[in-house]
Amino acid sequence: MEIKLASVDSVIVYFDNKISLDVSFNVKQYLEEVKKLEGIIDIVPSYTSILITYDIFIYSYDQIVSVLEKIKVNKISSSDNKIVEIPVYYGEEVGLDLKRISEEKNLSIKEIIDIHSSGSYRVYAIGFAPGFAYMGEVDKRININRLENPRKSIPKNSLAIANEQTAIYPQSSPGGWNIIGKTTIEMFDKSLSSLCPVNVGDEVKFYSISKEEFLKQGGVL
Amino acid sequence: MSGFEIINPGILTLVQDKGRFSYAHIGVTSSGCMDEYAYFWANKLLGNAKDCNVLEIAFPSFSVKACEDISISITGADLSLSINGTYSKPWSTYNIKKGDILKFCKSLKGVRAYLAVKGGFLLNKDFDSYSTTIKEGLGAIKGRALIKSDFLPYTTYKHNHKKVLKEKYIPSYDKTLVLRVLLSYQENEFEEKEKEKFFSSEFSVSPESNRMGMKLNGEKIIPKISGIISEGIAFGSIQIPSSGQPIILLKDRQTIGGYAKIGSVLAIDCFKLSQAKNNTKIRFEEIDIKSAQEKMKNFYLDFDN
Repeated sequence: MEIKLASVDSVIVYFDNKISLDVSFNVKQYLEEVKKLEGIIDIVPSYTSILITYDIFIYSYDQIVSVLEKIKVNKISSSDNKIVEIPVYYGEEVGLDLKRISEEKNLSIKEIIDIHSSGSYRVYAIGFAPGFAYMGEVDKRININRLENPRKSIPKNSLAIANEQTAIYPQSSPGGWNIIGKTTIEMFDKSLSSLCPVNVGDEVKFYSISKEEFLKQGGVL
Repeated sequence: MSGFEIINPGILTLVQDKGRFSYAHIGVTSSGCMDEYAYFWANKLLGNAKDCNVLEIAFPSFSVKACEDISISITGADLSLSINGTYSKPWSTYNIKKGDILKFCKSLKGVRAYLAVKGGFLLNKDFDSYSTTIKEGLGAIKGRALIKSDFLPYTTYKHNHKKVLKEKYIPSYDKTLVLRVLLSYQENEFEEKEKEKFFSSEFSVSPESNRMGMKLNGEKIIPKISGIISEGIAFGSIQIPSSGQPIILLKDRQTIGGYAKIGSVLAIDCFKLSQAKNNTKIRFEEIDIKSAQEKMKNFYLDFDN
């Protein structure tokens, strides 16, 4: 663990220099401890680090560093993770890149869907846009690069993959990830007290639903 | 009803306050007034609470009609405010009468003007803040810039003692700006000669700047690495992609990102930067964390009494 200066009122804690499940557990554990501290303004957990913005009227830089140094995390993975299940319609009319991936990877569309929906994914970070959760790891068989030319507009609720990562676009926005389906779950929901159905450290499972079910749940083609 | 009727919404007029905090972990940016110096003065001149909402007006032609009497303050950029046709200087309060027309005519000095009303506008907060972030759709007025059909309600207020800020407190918005930098984050991923170049060169504000960040033109500063594992971005972070063109990340920045950062600009200087027009010359000088925090504290304490 290394604590570095970030700005006049923030520090960044690094846990490792490569992405792994163990590091992600450490980030989650440490995050829970930081939340208990007084005088913390904002916390941004990510793959291997946590950015902490603090009240400079409560802590000087030296003081926050010494408080943070005392927080210990153990390497052991915990099993009490929240599991969030997300319904997905993996249809070709919403999975805009399914056909291309199928050709490129020499897999049938059904195989792509089976591979993606049988995985369990960890939320490593949330950013880029509100509710945009970076999840991993995607099975090697469907590991595919970002589009060379990003789309100007990706429909809201699209499920996407890029290399070892998978994510849902919470709002329609430009983007370069490969689209393989669409969900009915709002990833940034103003009616939720937490705003976002997932948190960093949660485990996410996707399950395939039919077109009828998708439409019944309010899905938009 | 008491309030401002909009005659011309301007190009980018936003309701703002200090910002939206404690939601960064799910990707919500801090938002808030780009120039806190002008923001705090706008409220202080009126005797408002420190965190009252205001309008941030980024371009001229914004124009309103007052439906009832109200005391206002204008700070920040001089966008040539006319009240019933008479030029009215910023950094001052004005007593507005029912039927008066306020119009920001043209950009004279600085970029963003702040308009506050006594008691603040009677709007609703969105996730603990009035601040508007268009890309997130969050803020007091449906998360968007003002449009013609909006109405800005306030509580009628008469007879405020007129206040004009002392000249020495009024920023000059010079053509050259020195920004104080805390070396931080990936500073070690820049070779000594690149760091020297960073501190000895003159940059200029690129027209491709907005509330997310200020892009700078000038010498290329090349990091040793092309990217990093995405991590949290602090206010004022100086991100340098492999193209070598620094970007200073401001109020509407994305919460995480994967470019190397050489350090961060002291927040007080980011407020000044927010008033820098295109092509303003920028230089950097180093500051240590102890004096940086001292200066920040004094900045906020000055607005406390």
